[in-house]
Amino acid sequence: MDTIINYLDNMFATLPKNKKILDLKEDLLSSMEDKYNELKRNGKSENEAIGIVISEFGNIDELIKEFDIELDDQSEELPMLTENEVNDYLEVNKKASKLIGLGVTFCILGAALLILITQLIGDGLITGVSDNYAGIVGLIPLLLLVAVAVGLFIYSGMTTDRFKYIENDFELPSHLRQSIKNKSNSYDPTYTKAIIIGVVLCIVSPIFLFITAPMSESASSYGVVVLLMIVSVAVNIFIYFGMKKESYKKLLKIDEYTHSNKQKNKVIGAIGSIVWPLAVIIFLVSGLVFNQWHINWIVFPITGLLFAMFSGAYSILKEKN
Amino acid sequence: MISSDVIRGYNDTIILYLLLDNDSYGYEISKKIKNLSDEKYVIKETTLYSAFNRLMKNNYIESFYKDETFGKRRTYYRITQAGIDYYKEKCKEWELTKEVINRFVKEEY
Repeated sequence: MDTIINYLDNMFATLPKNKKILDLKEDLLSSMEDKYNELKRNGKSENEAIGIVISEFGNIDELIKEFDIELDDQSEELPMLTENEVNDYLEVNKKASKLIGLGVTFCILGAALLILITQLIGDGLITGVSDNYAGIVGLIPLLLLVAVAVGLFIYSGMTTDRFKYIENDFELPSHLRQSIKNKSNSYDPTYTKAIIIGVVLCIVSPIFLFITAPMSESASSYGVVVLLMIVSVAVNIFIYFGMKKESYKKLLKIDEYTHSNKQKNKVIGAIGSIVWPLAVIIFLVSGLVFNQWHINWIVFPITGLLFAMFSGAYSILKEKN
Repeated sequence: MISSDVIRGYNDTIILYLLLDNDSYGYEISKKIKNLSDEKYVIKETTLYSAFNRLMKNNYIESFYKDETFGKRRTYYRITQAGIDYYKEKCKEWELTKEVINRFVKEEY
């Protein structure tokens, strides 16, 4: 008889546990029990009786359809997070944010290297390469860095993949919630400082350009290189600290991660891993096809500023809501 | 053995027939179906309880609890006047169906 009870339990495992369904289950069990007892009385063996009862059960889908059961209503089935899972999630997320930040930095540094190498060759500081090949030689490190960056984006996406259920919904034990809250609160000042430093870096990044531009055209190229390097550091800060902040918010289900308004986690990181390679593509196309090398580097500071504005505005707006 | 697809439209008729004379419960009804059909039709539990639900929604039957002698509580079903009317209707429908289908059935060919 236990086998039959287990069978029925399994059949009903995914169904909601309201009164109507539980009554139905009880009726079914009673009916199956009657059948089982009668089969046994008629001399059937335990296994035969169980086999017949189960084979005559039918298809649970028929009941689901007839009773109009909402299978989505699984409020009691939410996964309960454990301390290990939470720590794992925070750890993996931290690594992923480092990798995405690094990837974005690579994209920008690649562009800076292209300009630097081209200018060094142009100035005769690197010898043995003719001017015609200067652009090509500079492109090699850029493409290599972008390739590595894309690899990093994909890899970090894969490592966070197993926490997909946190993207959906979960239950958090209250003591765990409190400890995450404490961590999040003590992280807030660090986060604010990081954002301020990032924004300041973005604002001051053109200074070297302003200083070098009046000197000579080649000096201004070095100014651009410094500008891009500063921007890359700033962007790295936005992504690393922003994603950490988001992972706390996600776990605490605050701001955009409340029940009613769930959104994808890692918004800043996700936007970053799309926008920056895109900026590189624009940079490459405008350079290679339209030969605008002298000015097209501007996409990086512009993207950097827009990105900074976006991450700042995003955080502020979400906090206000 | 009759396939459940063929008989689907007449499960309601069968159950209502078995409730005409006296109230009954799930297993008793399924046993009577098996016996009266000479074991040619065995109704599945899920089919039976889907039918109960459907018949109750349409007010053709109603359910009530009855305690058995050795303390087991069972859900019993009772046919209503609307159920009797519906049963008569289904019988007429079957006569017509039988008549029509018979015109397309040949014993020998």
